[in-house]
Amino acid sequence: MPEGYSEALFYYLYSRIEKLMLIPKSICKGLSDAEILRKSIEEVDYFSCLYDRYEEKLLRYIHRIARISETEAEDLLQDAFVKIWKNLHAIDPELKLSSWVYRVVHNETVSWMRRKTSNGKDRNVPWNESFDTAVESSLPGEGEETQGQEGQIRFLLEQLPLVSREVLALKFFDEMSYAEISDVLKIPEGTVATRINRAKKAFAELAAKNKLSFEF
Amino acid sequence: MEGSEKLLAKIKGQQIKPKPKGLFWAQRSLAGAGFALAALLGALAFSILLFAIQQTDFNVLSHLGHSRLELFLGLLPFFWIGLLILALLTGMYGIRHSARGYKFTLARQMGYSAALSILLGALFFITGGASYLEKAFAIQVSLYESIQEKKIKLWMMPEQGQLAGQIVEVSASTLQLVDFSGKRWTIDYDSAFVPPMVLLEPGEEIKLMGNMEGNSLFLADDIRPWQGPGSRNGTRGGGPPWENNQKKGKKGY
Repeated sequence: MPEGYSEALFYYLYSRIEKLMLIPKSICKGLSDAEILRKSIEEVDYFSCLYDRYEEKLLRYIHRIARISETEAEDLLQDAFVKIWKNLHAIDPELKLSSWVYRVVHNETVSWMRRKTSNGKDRNVPWNESFDTAVESSLPGEGEETQGQEGQIRFLLEQLPLVSREVLALKFFDEMSYAEISDVLKIPEGTVATRINRAKKAFAELAAKNKLSFEF
Repeated sequence: MEGSEKLLAKIKGQQIKPKPKGLFWAQRSLAGAGFALAALLGALAFSILLFAIQQTDFNVLSHLGHSRLELFLGLLPFFWIGLLILALLTGMYGIRHSARGYKFTLARQMGYSAALSILLGALFFITGGASYLEKAFAIQVSLYESIQEKKIKLWMMPEQGQLAGQIVEVSASTLQLVDFSGKRWTIDYDSAFVPPMVLLEPGEEIKLMGNMEGNSLFLADDIRPWQGPGSRNGTRGGGPPWENNQKKGKKGY
């Protein structure tokens, strides 16, 4: 190949790949949630930044509150983000975007659970170690020890009612404030506090019964 | 394919667009208008309830021969109570589904909804709007029994010791009264309690408690102004009952 041709080919291919790659991930890092939203309205590709930013956290949240397979959780998250996209102009500017995103995903998950229950399907999705490990392996950034504990936590959470699971997951795993939880679940902050207290008690009792020890 | 790429492919492939801003603005405006309408209806209903309470002789009910509860229930404007409850519930629903309504407890939602209706209703009542609205409603809606009509029913039972009407002539110990059905009575008030607020003069509307002594003779024990304390000849209390004679499809008195 004549000199200089390989370089030209490289730049040509790079520019093509860059176009295919949509928005380079590095651009997302410097943008705030609000900026991503603003840019998304002008250029839809920026919306992927929002998805990438929250994907991992939200998948964990979905798994913590619902007995759901990995594929189903991903589909559910996709559907939730399509809803977020459709309702981009409905966002309350006074609300934290993360709260709003969690709210949509939470509602979507609860609807999915209701649909499943009413259809009578998947009532006995296996909740064993291999399933749990499969879920864990798909979620990056977790150590083995943490994975084991996560599995135990899910095992205990799964035995609690949804009202307890959701507040515990948001408070202690997603580390949200009472105000943020109130915004996600659309309940008063006082109710959040009451539910957390009750859920903590129930979780501790359950952990003791299963000879596991957790402290919040 | 990564999740975000899959998402973009879906959005672009199906050409999904964000819903227009105007749609959400319209939804919010509609909800706001609904809430305002509910608050207004609640205020009107509350003002008429105040009017009904003003027109109810609670102190007199205890002296009557009938069951107090029965009479009280008979006087209650159930239509307006129902409307008030409906308006409060609609108001609560509006608050609950507003952008930040979920921050309030049920009690606070109810409190805010009721406070607005109470405030506006009290203003409407004080300005005399309640009696006019009630009267207009009674005239326009033939099925509706006005508070005045209920009150007249209660006081048009001479056999039970209750009588009401307009004074046409006054002498030393008796007076001539035309009741709300147009019948003329001779009232012996010699031994009756007549509070200073009652003016015994022709044209005055009064209600009496006592005993029916003959076909057109009534022995009064207690005489009160028709519209209750603080009002005379229907200045606040809804006007003279005769005006209800114009009611559509109803017999006049």
